Amino acid sequence: MYGASFIQAARGPIMLITLGILLAIHQNTAWGFEQTFPVLIIVFGLLKLLERGADKSAGPMQPPQFPNPGGQA
Amino acid sequence: MRRGSIIGPVVLIAIGVAFLVRNLWPDIPVLDFLGRNWPYILIGWGALRLVELFAWTSSGKPLPVSGVSGGEWTLVVILCLFGSGLHQFSRRNSSWLPRINIGGLDVMGESFEYPYAPKSVKAASKTPRIVIESFRGDAQITGTDSDEVKVSGLKTLRAMESKDAEKSEKDSILEVITQGDQIIIRCNQDRADSRTRITSKLDISIPRGASIDARGRYGDFDIRDINGQVDIYSENAGVRLDNIGGNVKLDLRKSDIIRAIGVKGDVELKGRGDDVELENISGTVTVSAAYSGTTQFRNLAKGIRYTGVSSDFQFEKIPGEVRSTISNLSASNVVGPIRVNSTKAKDVQISDFTQGVEISVDRGDIEVRPGRLPLARINVSTMHGDVDFSVPGQAKFDLKATASRGEISNDYGDAFRIESSGSRGQILTGVVGTGGPSIVLNSNRGGITVRKGDVLAPLSVPAVPAPPVPPSKPLVRVE
Repeated sequence: MYGASFIQAARGPIMLITLGILLAIHQNTAWGFEQTFPVLIIVFGLLKLLERGADKSAGPMQPPQFPNPGGQA
Repeated sequence: MRRGSIIGPVVLIAIGVAFLVRNLWPDIPVLDFLGRNWPYILIGWGALRLVELFAWTSSGKPLPVSGVSGGEWTLVVILCLFGSGLHQFSRRNSSWLPRINIGGLDVMGESFEYPYAPKSVKAASKTPRIVIESFRGDAQITGTDSDEVKVSGLKTLRAMESKDAEKSEKDSILEVITQGDQIIIRCNQDRADSRTRITSKLDISIPRGASIDARGRYGDFDIRDINGQVDIYSENAGVRLDNIGGNVKLDLRKSDIIRAIGVKGDVELKGRGDDVELENISGTVTVSAAYSGTTQFRNLAKGIRYTGVSSDFQFEKIPGEVRSTISNLSASNVVGPIRVNSTKAKDVQISDFTQGVEISVDRGDIEVRPGRLPLARINVSTMHGDVDFSVPGQAKFDLKATASRGEISNDYGDAFRIESSGSRGQILTGVVGTGGPSIVLNSNRGGITVRKGDVLAPLSVPAVPAPPVPPSKPLVRVE
């Protein structure tokens, strides 16, 4: 199962795909982008919900791990 | 090591391929294609990113915090601006980006001019077939009462050195060959040295009854006073025809202007180009082409069938004028049945017509003013735009107007019934007189106006400029 970090990383590509679809609809059908742009907000909200759901199922949040700059143990 | 995405290299390759195709095969409308389909680049970009994320997850690599970085979003914004600009621009002029020629004769060569020794050949009959073999340059062809074919003119050689030009001049002699009833005019430009480029300017006089079969690569044709058929194929040409007795068939891969005045036969146009003007045509006009400029048709006795990239129209006769650009079509004093169909944005104005009309556009305002009685069946529909229908006084008709999300204004007052449709729409119905034709007006996202009056207001059609006087001799185009 993909976790919250995956959904967070996938948010950008999914938003990009949605944007592309809306612009293609704008260009090729009678529906303009000025009418369909709320879909972007809906998709963003859904992804945030999914991320939150994944967070809860994974338990308490772990602090992010940073690479050791000195390279020492 | 920094994790690398394949998006950057893929974008670079795509840009390189697009420009390469544009330069090597200019006939392939790659920029038009990009202008129409650029949103799919965003979809592909996002999909590729998702695939990368899945691959990184399954191989256990750490994932980035955000799948699309800030820099990439900036690129997306630039792509959106560039793509929508390209879309708008390519709709107006499909060949706006010049081919990029680097170095070579165009920049560094020198021009040398040599006159052709005049040649004349007696035709076997009064109706010979004149074949002009593929050449680069301009040809002015005139029909005369003589039974001789006379060819004169000059050639321009562009070469790096004068000795190259002299050698090519000797190799590229002008030939006028008789083969039965056929006379072949051959410039032999291909025999020239590859380091020179030849452009010819031909002045040809032929018997009036002759027909012409011309092939050109680059240059203009100016043909007048011919009773036979005219058949021209060129990769890039402007064509001017005046007083032609036979059928005309033009297949031009690219053209800046096509002007034909006074053709007694049928006219058939194919290919791509900018402007078209046809006037006083006795035969049928068939157009199957992509023109990005203005097309004008005046006095077509047998009407026109026009098939473009995103729109097509048909008029049975045009005693008046039809003028069309990529975003507008206006017609005045025309005879139906009239049919206009556009899958892209197009405003349509049709006035002073008889017989039925059928108009369907995706986006655009439609003005319909019949102006003459009796009315015939009219069916008008637009998805996004207003419909303005003006009824001549004393007309009989049976009207149904539907504005799905707009308002209807009506000069007939309470005689017509108006009712709500859905949450924001209106439907207007009414009958005037008995036995009138059906008038159906539809606008999905716009308003509808139904006017009446004995005197029609002038139509808001832009004034058509008078056609410029054609030059007496074609311009010499030197490459």
